Amino acid sequence: MNETVTVRVQKVKKNGIKARLIFFLILVAVLLLVTIFADKIVPYDPYAQDLSLSRLPPSASHWMGTDQYGRDVFSRVVVGAQTSVFSTLALVGVISVFGTIVGTLCGYYGGALDSIVMRISDVCLAFPGLVFALAIAALLGGGVSNAVIALAVISWPKYARVARSQTLALKNGPFVSAARLSGSSSMQMILRHILPNIIGPILVTAMLDIGTMMMELAGLSFLGLGAQPPTAEWGNMMSGGRSMLQTYPWLVLSPGFAIFLTVVIFNLLGDTVRDYMDPKNSRAR
Amino acid sequence: MKKILAILLVLCLSVGVMSGCGNSNNTPGTDAKKTFVFGDTTFNAENEEPDINPHYAYSGWPCIRYGVGETLMKIADDGTLQPWLAESAVNVNETTWEIVIKDAVCFSNGKKCDAAAVKACFEHLIEVHERAADNLKIASMEADGQKLTIVTSEPNPILMNYLSEAYGCIIDMEVGIPDNGCVVGTGPYVATEVVTDDHVNLVKNTNYWDGEVHIDEITVRTISDGDTLAMALQSGEINAAYGMAYASYPLFENDNYKFTSIQTSRCFWGMVNLHEENPGYSIMSDPAVRKAIALGINKQGFVDVLLNGYGYTATGAFPDSFAFGKGVNTVSYDPAQAKTALEEAGWVDTDGDGIREKDGVKLTIRWLTYPSRQELPLLAESAQATLKEIGIDVQINNTKDHNNIRKDPTAWDIWVSANVNAGLGDPQNFFDTYCLDASIKNSGGHHSDKLEELAAQLRGTFDPDERARIAVEMQQELLDDNSYVFCSFLRMSMIMQSNVTGLEAHTCDFYELTADLDIN
Amino acid sequence: MKHYALRRLLQLIPILLAITFLSYGMMRIAGSDVVEQKMENTSGTVSQEMIDAAREELGLDKPFIVQYFSWLGNLLRGDMGTSYVSNKPVFSTFVSKLPATLLLTLVSILLTVIISIPLGIWSAIKQNKATDYVIRTASFIGNSLPNFFVSLLLMYLFAIRLNWFPVISKGVSLQSVALPSLTLAIAMSAKYLRQVRATVLDELSKDYVLGAKARGVKFSTTMMKSVMKASLVTIITLLTLSIGSLLGGTAIVESIFMWDGVGKMAVDAINMRDYPIIQAYVMWMAIIYVLVNLITDLSYRYLDPRIRLGGIEQ
Repeated sequence: MNETVTVRVQKVKKNGIKARLIFFLILVAVLLLVTIFADKIVPYDPYAQDLSLSRLPPSASHWMGTDQYGRDVFSRVVVGAQTSVFSTLALVGVISVFGTIVGTLCGYYGGALDSIVMRISDVCLAFPGLVFALAIAALLGGGVSNAVIALAVISWPKYARVARSQTLALKNGPFVSAARLSGSSSMQMILRHILPNIIGPILVTAMLDIGTMMMELAGLSFLGLGAQPPTAEWGNMMSGGRSMLQTYPWLVLSPGFAIFLTVVIFNLLGDTVRDYMDPKNSRAR
Repeated sequence: MKKILAILLVLCLSVGVMSGCGNSNNTPGTDAKKTFVFGDTTFNAENEEPDINPHYAYSGWPCIRYGVGETLMKIADDGTLQPWLAESAVNVNETTWEIVIKDAVCFSNGKKCDAAAVKACFEHLIEVHERAADNLKIASMEADGQKLTIVTSEPNPILMNYLSEAYGCIIDMEVGIPDNGCVVGTGPYVATEVVTDDHVNLVKNTNYWDGEVHIDEITVRTISDGDTLAMALQSGEINAAYGMAYASYPLFENDNYKFTSIQTSRCFWGMVNLHEENPGYSIMSDPAVRKAIALGINKQGFVDVLLNGYGYTATGAFPDSFAFGKGVNTVSYDPAQAKTALEEAGWVDTDGDGIREKDGVKLTIRWLTYPSRQELPLLAESAQATLKEIGIDVQINNTKDHNNIRKDPTAWDIWVSANVNAGLGDPQNFFDTYCLDASIKNSGGHHSDKLEELAAQLRGTFDPDERARIAVEMQQELLDDNSYVFCSFLRMSMIMQSNVTGLEAHTCDFYELTADLDIN
Repeated sequence: MKHYALRRLLQLIPILLAITFLSYGMMRIAGSDVVEQKMENTSGTVSQEMIDAAREELGLDKPFIVQYFSWLGNLLRGDMGTSYVSNKPVFSTFVSKLPATLLLTLVSILLTVIISIPLGIWSAIKQNKATDYVIRTASFIGNSLPNFFVSLLLMYLFAIRLNWFPVISKGVSLQSVALPSLTLAIAMSAKYLRQVRATVLDELSKDYVLGAKARGVKFSTTMMKSVMKASLVTIITLLTLSIGSLLGGTAIVESIFMWDGVGKMAVDAINMRDYPIIQAYVMWMAIIYVLVNLITDLSYRYLDPRIRLGGIEQ
């Protein structure tokens, strides 16, 4: 960081970021492919119990050992990605899209709509997630999808706020004013001029949120409000294997590593996207 | 840069200081006071044990377990009754009992425990505790010095067994049930603080009537998390533990720790829901389905692998070490036979998803159980897999709230719980609690004329051999119907530091912290 | 400013009211009948007459909205009812658990500051060097471990291997708070470390730093005098905001370490469907949240005059 800043260095840096971006996109693609085809590639049925194979340490035939019911841990970790990764992606996807739409509309139109929606978002943010998850579990029963609903209800306002403040800043900016003068309709304004400009920060927030949301889901599983047995889900597997950390460590380390890997990949992708979009990296100061 | 390093250094030091103060406070005091910390996973509101008031729900259990209260008689490991607070109990006629309280017995506040005090205690008990009133059937009591005469409204052959239940702990009613929950009993320890779901503090009862108490201060910690319990014992913060996870046992199988274990009549068993308003009624009322469930649970595997061998498979409701547990029979694990039974009854997998259907109804059962008995979720998940093999889809509802859910006849199909079935050394209590029309916990709505008739007979029979015969016949009735499934009995263990003495596991699971307890 | 603060305070009232209504309604829908629940907790079976009598006594035979307002009235007088499980007044139970949670929160924040600020700055200074990568990897690990697992690792390391701290808390004390607060601080530090790093990097790239460098000012002087000062505002804001989420996020950790605070009380109450206690917890969380938000909002306005003029919140 002590070298002289030149346009040339910036260009190299930009290319480096682009390479990094492609690299992490490939990693995410691989992760998603593995997740999609999990059932096809696992060596064993992740739900088949065989008590005679209980708690075997990792070996050539069972890469991550077996759990107390004699189920293959590797197969469970791979299949568990379907629950863990997809539910997290679904959760983050829903709240970011919904939050962005609501936030943009509020920021653009302001007035009564804005006040009402922002007060609602205050209520949602102020309501403890744990209690909400409980109420949802009591009404709809436990399970991953209900845990996702509970978390979605209390997490969308974060995105609404980001989108709203970005929209507010853009609304009074010169190019939006210019577009308004040229006679664009409100819908066109939002779609053409505002959304494309705020999508970056939203995307970065979403990427970095994946780790957090995965942890929140795992926490609900720990309290018995998330995935129900025998569903293979990483948080659930970790909380179930926790008592065996000292005696059969592979039961908890395997899903733990899977969570770590996923969080790291999405976080690094998020960082890279942010660097890529950062204007400081694309033009000389 | 140097400054930053300096800041870092200061911060590290401050952390070090914090840990240092942790160390100094951690070391036990140098005075000769003996303290003992007991970690227990089961002492909580979830088990209907929010405090130690024996006249409330199951709070008598902690009262007797932690040595605060004592009962008139004690149940030995073979099921026989032995004198405790009572010197003798004589059955004068079918409905009259004469009990003599030991002269030496006094409450921990120094007050003498005479027949009048016991009478006052029981009067309050049957007034506020429905289960006790139901069991005891006390019509009237008379106190004369140390002699208490109890007249029952109908013959009650096991009155003294019932009075040995935890709710029978004698407490001083002049103190009553104080707001802080510290009831005054006759036991070796006196409660000084009760915090629901957290801890009970006890101190030595200096007035103890039955010998010297060795430990000055005891804290019983409710530790709901099994790992926390294991780590607390490893780090020496607790001296002994009740309810350790089986998976943690290997950590303590060395010279630093001791185990005490004994076969108990604590049974892991399921009750089928036969209420007609249950949406699963069409499934559960089918005898073939019930039989398939009984055939489809791998009891031996559950005991050998999931309980690490700390258990025994069950046939009936009671272990065969009791006379009333012998000679019953039922089906054992046989997936092939289970499949045949289902097929014959018309349950066939037509859509190829591995789950059988009949008349458009999927063979799905809702398995209600709870986590505070760590074996129950293991049983549920194991049974889920073995039942799936025979085409039954099991949906587990593992919740601390099971006691409320089981009261909703539409919310579950099979309720699997862990209960001490012959804790009183007698079979009658089990049937009275779970199987009859008037039973408080007959949540499955079971009714059998034959069972009612046999139960009436049992209630009037005083001869132990005859009682055993009737109890066996009653169990067989339950088993033939497959509406009750008994999976295994627990070999109960407590793990303690090797310098702890006098802590012993008992079959009926009532006596834990006694005057014998010591640390050397 | 005063006028604005007053307006914001008034705005809080409908939010809090909405939360009371929502939580009351939700509990009534989710839970079984209060009376049955209460009676089932205290005795075996109950007759219909007893239930009816108790319902009338508690005013539960009246319409929902009337019940809500009478409940709200009691709440405003500080009467939150009694726990179904312990039969003790909710308010005093709650107050007795509060100090433990406050201490835990405070120590966690302190630890977070101690861990995240120096490491974040260090990581920024050494951007893209080995140190930076090590610190960032550590933050990824901290960010991807569920706190129930972190707590286990800490127990194993500090309580069993090193024997520095106790596994289970023995009352509210400094050595008992060490492990639970460290568990919370690790997760938070992992998050804040990255933000501290980003903030500092942002400052470092500003012209005045380069200018100072050009003028030959020692780097450490620039660092301490200007960069730190400028970054601190952002960092402090982040920390105040996290107090809210921390006070609520302690539930799982409190349960694991047997830390007798509000969070553990909430988890126990949720498990037992002890609705009056749950209500108290909801209200507590809501009040904390809106207050913290208000304070941040006001301090922003106070610190940054642009917001005052532009009327942009946040």
